[in-house]
Amino acid sequence: MEADVTVIGSGPAGLTAAVHAHKSGAKGVLLLEREEELGGILKQCIHNGFGLEQFKKDYTGPEYAERLIEELEKTNVQYFLNTMVLSLSPDKTITAVSPEKGLFHIKSRSVVLAMGCRERPRSSINIPGTRPAGIYTAGVAQRFVNIDGYLPGKQVVILGSGDIGLIMARRLTLEGARVKGVYEIMDYPGGLKRNIVQCLNDFDIPLYLSHTVTEIRGKERVEGVVVSKVDQKMNPVGGSKQFIPCDTLLLSVGLIPENELSKEAGVELTPITRGPVTTETMETKVPGIFSCGNVSTVFDLVDYVAETGMIAAGNAARFAAGDWKKGKNPVEIIPGENVRMLFPQRYSFKDDLILFVRSAKPIDKPVKIELSPLGVRLKRLYARPNEMIRFKVSRDKLKDVTGPVEVSITER
Amino acid sequence: MDVEKKHFTCVICPIGCEIDVELQNGNVVSMEGNKCEKGKEFVLQELEEAMRILTTTVPVKGAKWAMLPVRTDKPIPKRLLSKVIEQLADIELHAPVKMYHVIVKDIAGTDANIVATRNMKKVNHPKDAKKDLISRKEG
Repeated sequence: MEADVTVIGSGPAGLTAAVHAHKSGAKGVLLLEREEELGGILKQCIHNGFGLEQFKKDYTGPEYAERLIEELEKTNVQYFLNTMVLSLSPDKTITAVSPEKGLFHIKSRSVVLAMGCRERPRSSINIPGTRPAGIYTAGVAQRFVNIDGYLPGKQVVILGSGDIGLIMARRLTLEGARVKGVYEIMDYPGGLKRNIVQCLNDFDIPLYLSHTVTEIRGKERVEGVVVSKVDQKMNPVGGSKQFIPCDTLLLSVGLIPENELSKEAGVELTPITRGPVTTETMETKVPGIFSCGNVSTVFDLVDYVAETGMIAAGNAARFAAGDWKKGKNPVEIIPGENVRMLFPQRYSFKDDLILFVRSAKPIDKPVKIELSPLGVRLKRLYARPNEMIRFKVSRDKLKDVTGPVEVSITER
Repeated sequence: MDVEKKHFTCVICPIGCEIDVELQNGNVVSMEGNKCEKGKEFVLQELEEAMRILTTTVPVKGAKWAMLPVRTDKPIPKRLLSKVIEQLADIELHAPVKMYHVIVKDIAGTDANIVATRNMKKVNHPKDAKKDLISRKEG
């Protein structure tokens, strides 16, 4: 079959992209989802805080998803559920499989990658010890509790203070489990401040910074974990070991963009985000393949995910319609002092630049964000690694740039 | 006279001001750390009655999934969160359920309603229902 714009994945990025591709005039828009429902991870994120910036509403994840699905149902966008994309080729041929259609191919004029991200498992942080039952990533536990109705355990230790871990600390407490503590290897929390307050402080759940789990004990089931304090190089401090009895360990130790399909299509990835190298149009280095949401870089607000979906879809629709000029050669946008993450990594002079950056270390003093050679573009009261900074630089300001643009976040 | 000290992290905006308050006989005598008026309002509200939105799930029968996500339709006193959770323990719904369907009115005297936060279709396929039964038993 053929399509003008094919969107892979129907989470917040993909749903927004599919609706927006339609609104941008694309005729044959196709949305592919491997699960049996639209909405992606939103359906298990039953907490509120979604859409505050985008809709000025405080939605829960499922409400936010339903709102996007309602919008989608008003369009003639075709969507296939239970459809797993097996491969994507550089000429934008998609091979997919589903129970209804078997194996099939789609030749698409443009493609929007919206596959999202996955959780880092135990093996990616190498915790020594046994391999008993009772070790879950926070998102898996979230699914068990919120969709399947199972409580993963009664005495819980959470490793990592990412937002999902914090949200699950509250969730498990409300469901009757005892959360003994959240242990964070860094000397600052990984999640948003509002989650520290409303998920931990509200329930007197302690947060231990500069601590990590150094051993898991238990044969059939987790019987406890050993936690240790770590020094500035993140090595365990001798003599600081403490055994915490528990039956469950949740891991909230980061997310990784899911780019197997991108790689196969020849899309270049960058270690800065572990996602595709894109321009401000969200186009990857393969013409006509665009990328948005958490497959590009792990965002901390769904509003930003949706915003990138919108940009990607508008441009994918333009590409499919043949309204896409090559234009000036893109310039690189590179991380300078105190910048850990930066998205997008290229500027192609087609549109205003919406730049997302993350500070490498926390600065709780007034900071300036500088785009060399343009000068200071933004002043803020602080910069923290757990909070993405978004700002816009107009096309007009960037039009005369000839070399790489270097971004830095420093004290002012 | 005893001065009571309290600390708050404001959650009105992402800055998250760390605010120190001194109280005397329950009255605020000093407040430091808030960068704006909203921070002050937040602290005063927290002192008077901390309010939170509650989100949780209730079991639903005859649907594809075992649980239906629900929320309070407005913030409720924080001290009543566990009471509300307890009152929801005996509830069991049957699909179909429409989003924003009121499940409990005026829960625990808070004046807030518990509402569904998604649509949940009824599943007629016997195979799906059976599958659910088996997995429940194993659990």
